[in-house]
Amino acid sequence: MSMLQIWLVQALFIFLTTGSMGQLLDPCGHINPESPVVHLGSNFTAVCVLKEDCMDYFHVNANFIVWKMSHFTIPKEQYTIINKTAASVTLTDVASLNIQLTCNILTFGQIEQNIYGITLISGLPPEKPKNLNCIVNEGRKMMCYWDPGRETYLETNFTLKSEWATEKFADCKTKRDTPTSCTVDYSPVYFVNMEVWVEAENALGKVTSDHINFDPVDKVKPNAPHNLSVSNSEELSSILKLTWINSNIKNVIRLKYDIQYRTKGASAWSQIPPEDTASTRSSFTVQDLKPFTEYVFRIRCMKEDGKGFWSDWSEEASGITYEDRPSKAPSFWYKIDPSHTHGYRSVQLMWKTLPPFEANGKILGYEVTLTRWKSRLQNYTVNDSKLTVNLTNDRYIATLTARNAVGRSAASVLTIPACDFQGYLAESTCYLITVTPVYADGPGSPESIKAYLKQAPPSKGPTVRTKKVGKNEAVLEWDQLPVDVQNGFIRNYTIFYRTNIGNETAVNVDSSHTEYTLSSLTSDTLYMVRMAAYTDEGGKDGPEFTFTTPKFAQGEIEAIVVPVCLAFLLTTLLGVLFCFNKRDLIKKHIWPNVPDPSKSHIAQWSPHTPPRHNFNSKDQMYSDGNFTDVSVVEIEANDKKPFPEDLKSLELFKKEKVSTEGHSSGIGGSSCMSSSRPSISSSDENESAQNTSSTVQYSTVVHSGYRHQVPSVQVFSRSESTQPLLDSEERPEDLQLVDNVDGSDGILPRQQYFKQNCSQHETSPDISHFERSNQVSSVNEEDFIRLKQQQISGISQSCGSGQMKMFQEVSAADAFGPGTEGQGERFKTAEMEAVLDEGMPKSYLPQTVRQGGYMPQ
Amino acid sequence: MDLRAGDSWGMLACLCTVLWHLPAVPALNRTGDPGPGPSIQKTYDLTRYLEHQLRSLAGTYLNYLGPPFNEPDFNPPRLGADTLPRATVNLEVWRSLNDKLRLTQNYEAYSHLLCYLRGLNRQAATAELRRSLAHFCTSLQGLLGSIAGVMATLGYPLPQPLPGTEPTWTPGPAHSDFLQKMDDFWLLKELQTWLWRSAKDFNRLKKKMQPPAAAVTLHLEAHGF
Repeated sequence: MSMLQIWLVQALFIFLTTGSMGQLLDPCGHINPESPVVHLGSNFTAVCVLKEDCMDYFHVNANFIVWKMSHFTIPKEQYTIINKTAASVTLTDVASLNIQLTCNILTFGQIEQNIYGITLISGLPPEKPKNLNCIVNEGRKMMCYWDPGRETYLETNFTLKSEWATEKFADCKTKRDTPTSCTVDYSPVYFVNMEVWVEAENALGKVTSDHINFDPVDKVKPNAPHNLSVSNSEELSSILKLTWINSNIKNVIRLKYDIQYRTKGASAWSQIPPEDTASTRSSFTVQDLKPFTEYVFRIRCMKEDGKGFWSDWSEEASGITYEDRPSKAPSFWYKIDPSHTHGYRSVQLMWKTLPPFEANGKILGYEVTLTRWKSRLQNYTVNDSKLTVNLTNDRYIATLTARNAVGRSAASVLTIPACDFQGYLAESTCYLITVTPVYADGPGSPESIKAYLKQAPPSKGPTVRTKKVGKNEAVLEWDQLPVDVQNGFIRNYTIFYRTNIGNETAVNVDSSHTEYTLSSLTSDTLYMVRMAAYTDEGGKDGPEFTFTTPKFAQGEIEAIVVPVCLAFLLTTLLGVLFCFNKRDLIKKHIWPNVPDPSKSHIAQWSPHTPPRHNFNSKDQMYSDGNFTDVSVVEIEANDKKPFPEDLKSLELFKKEKVSTEGHSSGIGGSSCMSSSRPSISSSDENESAQNTSSTVQYSTVVHSGYRHQVPSVQVFSRSESTQPLLDSEERPEDLQLVDNVDGSDGILPRQQYFKQNCSQHETSPDISHFERSNQVSSVNEEDFIRLKQQQISGISQSCGSGQMKMFQEVSAADAFGPGTEGQGERFKTAEMEAVLDEGMPKSYLPQTVRQGGYMPQ
Repeated sequence: MDLRAGDSWGMLACLCTVLWHLPAVPALNRTGDPGPGPSIQKTYDLTRYLEHQLRSLAGTYLNYLGPPFNEPDFNPPRLGADTLPRATVNLEVWRSLNDKLRLTQNYEAYSHLLCYLRGLNRQAATAELRRSLAHFCTSLQGLLGSIAGVMATLGYPLPQPLPGTEPTWTPGPAHSDFLQKMDDFWLLKELQTWLWRSAKDFNRLKKKMQPPAAAVTLHLEAHGF
């Protein structure tokens, strides 16, 4: 406050000096910058420039300049003389918010004359506003608020900006007195997300808060429910029903509620469990209230999903629960007037009025009954809290009940002893001694105690039995001894247990227990257990009980059997899975698939068999069980490329083979023999897909069979070339690869065709390539063998690119055999065939025709 | 059926991975792209909200028009309101609409209705009524944006208004005052019908977009690998 006053005074001073100077005389110079705003703690430099005429008039120059800051001279060290007319001053680490800086000259050596003055304002740039949030008060406009960050000491403007994805809304500028909130001047549209942010700007900078994106309906603060009313129920004294009217927003959103209540006069509120009021409603029944009690309620609501804000509390409403019958009767006592006369005595019964929490309503009266020993009943209705009656000297039993509008309480009972009552107490019998205090206005609450005149040992011991018997433990239980055999207070029990041969063990148990667990027993053993109960005077044993611990604990057998079964099951499962995966290998070793020659007919290979399968299908590519996916993919990639270029040459070879078939049947036979594939053909692609793996194995089997069972393949043993066999033996993988690859091409039909020509044995495509080239170059068999050897080495060297290589070799072989007759013609046919193949790859008809055409050759 | 080793191992591995990742993946993993579901739900809520808003607005406005327009059984023939987009459609046709067409029709209808409504706004009399109308217009604008948002989420392009067919409000002298009021009446009525229809449209879309359980499984597997 005092600082402010000082500033004001200083400002006034500056205003007066500069003002008077500005008006009265032209200033002798000026300071640059004119009205600076600087960052607190930074350095600031001002320059004072003198006017020439002034300098002449006062005979001064820049050296005469003296800087003053709030009337204190700034040390010369901070000055810098720029030239004759200008000097600057540098203020380091500006810490004051408001500084008057004046430029003065020393005229005539001594007199300080003010030239110019500025006010230096310092502050801080705005901090990024944080915690931006908005609230939509129902029926009103949206208000957003934020945390502006540190004090800037400067005038800082906050602008709230809002937009939809499609549209911008007008800016909301804060009012000077509420810089941390702004109320937009449009009603927000529910269920359309909007983006809101706030910009803070002052002389030192401008920052933007984080953008928040929300649906205004999630920021709603509903109006409080109104017209809250409370009504009670005559049927149930523990409930009150609240009804209220919801605000209009319930038409737009679903609501949940918060209901609080307290008894009138209490300060703490109780809460209805929120889960009971989690949906839109306009009434609620509060339960578990006390009868005839006034309760105060209040309620608030919010959006059901918890987004948004709670409404204000509604106005409070109160209601009284309905009456219930009194929960108990007052305890009462009697007073006998000692001046009894003639066999009668005057007895006064008295009690206290019931407190409200027991009366449960307005007490309308008390009812007293007096019963003489096995005799008639006397009824009295009393409004007061005492009753005086004349009784005989006999023993009486008095009962008292309280009554209100709903009903009567349970009766409290009092015995009025006979006049000549003499006490006689027996030993080892339990007595209940009750003492009731009697005050001037009635009796207090009685206290009771059990007592024995003299204790004795129990007349019977407790009977023990087992509740549960485990492998190493047994749970024993027993009943408390009946009061008439206790003969005293039971202080403790002792449990004795022993095996047939072992020592007896004793355990002491507190008298409050009726159960004990014997532990560390031996399994599968007979135990004998008995129990003794002790009073202060001694103990008594009960009957003996025998039990046998079982051999196995409960669940032990299961714990062993189940894991064993599971392990067995798992092993079996894994075994089956393994066998399933290795079935080809197993099949190969145990039951090789030997073809039955008797079932092999030329007719079966009839070209009329209609094709049934699209052999370009991917399934076929993967049909071989021995392949991993990876290798298949690789081959596929390798094989697609060479195919088109080599198609023709291949076709050519096949053709050539066909053409030479007739006169080189021996070679053809050998080729058939060496082939190991029973079937890869488009006509029975489905079948081949199913048994490809077995057929592959078959090829191996045949090879081994070829070695070991020479007679079975005797027919085909004649061959000038063992290389194909060698090859397929050594590199079955390559074979399969090639098979697969070929299988996906359009070449296969012709292989099928070859097979037919070769009677039983089918031609493995790759080998047939060789064979075909063989046939092509049959003119020069030696050359061919050489070539073939090259091929084989080529194949065996490169696995991945084997197929490509082979095609190359084959085409090389094509070029190799120029001596073949009718080559041009064959070329033509091959071309035609290719066209036909493309056109109708699923039909064998053209082949049949071709075959027929070739047959005569 | 051709079962191969690769397949069964793959299946086993897949199963194991799925089981392994099962606890790691929240029961209903919706942390990723929520899809168009929430925005459709929001648009549906908005149509219901607008319907509610229009009910009170229409009451006030018809009272402003005076009798016979504010009589409950007033049901004039649809005269001169031919330019208004019609919400009524054959049920079979409505059922057979695809999502894109359904959304496009809604979008076009509301852009037209909004234009007409803005004209209405200019003529409205009391300040309170003008405020309600202005707010309703803003809300309708919001609905348009909302529909556009749904269409964008589903990858449908927004219908481009043909330059010639841009509806304009001509309060010209050709209209008699009564006919003018009749137009206003029909505009409000058509708006009401459109809001009813849109609520049905978006309810239908909402149900359609609810991801089936299978999609969740698929999502899981995608996470597994």
